[in-house]
Amino acid sequence: MEASVRNIFFAFLKMGTFAFGGVYSMIAFFERELVLKRKWLSHDDFAESVVVGQLTPGPPIINSGIFIGYLLRGTKGALATVVGQVLPSFVMILILAYVYMKYSDIPIMRSMLKGVGAAVVGLVVSVVFRMGKRSLKDYKSVSFAITTFICLAVFKLNPIALIIAAGVGGLIVYRGGALKWQ
Amino acid sequence: MAIVIFFWTLFYINLFTIGGGFVMLPLLQSEIVDHYHWLTNKEFIDSIAIGQLTPGPLTIMNAFIGYKIFGFGGAIGAVVSTYLPSILVVTIVSRYYLRFKNWWIVNSSFSGIRPAVIGLLAAVAITLGRESIIDLPTGAIAIASFVAIAFTKLDPTFVILGAGLLGALLY
Repeated sequence: MEASVRNIFFAFLKMGTFAFGGVYSMIAFFERELVLKRKWLSHDDFAESVVVGQLTPGPPIINSGIFIGYLLRGTKGALATVVGQVLPSFVMILILAYVYMKYSDIPIMRSMLKGVGAAVVGLVVSVVFRMGKRSLKDYKSVSFAITTFICLAVFKLNPIALIIAAGVGGLIVYRGGALKWQ
Repeated sequence: MAIVIFFWTLFYINLFTIGGGFVMLPLLQSEIVDHYHWLTNKEFIDSIAIGQLTPGPLTIMNAFIGYKIFGFGGAIGAVVSTYLPSILVVTIVSRYYLRFKNWWIVNSSFSGIRPAVIGLLAAVAITLGRESIIDLPTGAIAIASFVAIAFTKLDPTFVILGAGLLGALLY
């Protein structure tokens, strides 16, 4: 199948629809669709798209898609991947938003949201746990994490300022050091 | 005027969302909840849950927030402001990728940002916990969800749905 803007859009629409299960299962899904099935990308191009996705602000999966679309068909290809990936979840979230606004005050919905709210806490903690297992490898990285934690939890400093400060701190502490992603 | 500030806020938040959709949460909480009071902490938690029920990155929850505050136009504008930074930055990076790849400035500053955002997210977990964990059952649901997501391959979507059902049964 040719990598036209139209085909790129439909390929990413499919991936956006079945994109459950987090970043890592999504990367495997992307590879199967784009490298093995459609043969639009080489393994090296794909590996580069994963790195760029993680090196840029925003969701890594969306950003890898933009890189791939740009590689295949320039700016139009890049836009096709975003619209394709976002459209299914956008339609779904509009439906959920409508239901939420209409029914969030009825008792059964309130009880459900009570359970859901507790699960969200568990979810966020598990993300902290997983990211920590991957990135907190030595005393330097642990001290970065603890410092920003205290600055936000105790002193309520602005998180964007803290991210900028951490970037500057990294520049000083890790100067010239090689970085391993993943 | 508020809607323009809202879109601009999402735009710059997403410029600093480095390392995945969840990293957006500390920034969103600080701006949308604490600074502008567009949402309560409770509604913020509901938005995370609803964002998690849809496929794809959590960032789509911004469309929900936009819809809740400003209606359909708010949802559309929220999506554009959320993904525009990605489109701008990634197309520029794609063009200069080979030069950018070995740029030690990017590498070393990101080595500082990566662990730092974990600390930020941990602080958010505490404020969310204070809001949501109000008794024994909600505490148990939070711990069970953590174990299910961190130690099994269960999809978070099912955990959220299951917790909703449990909530309906318990309360």
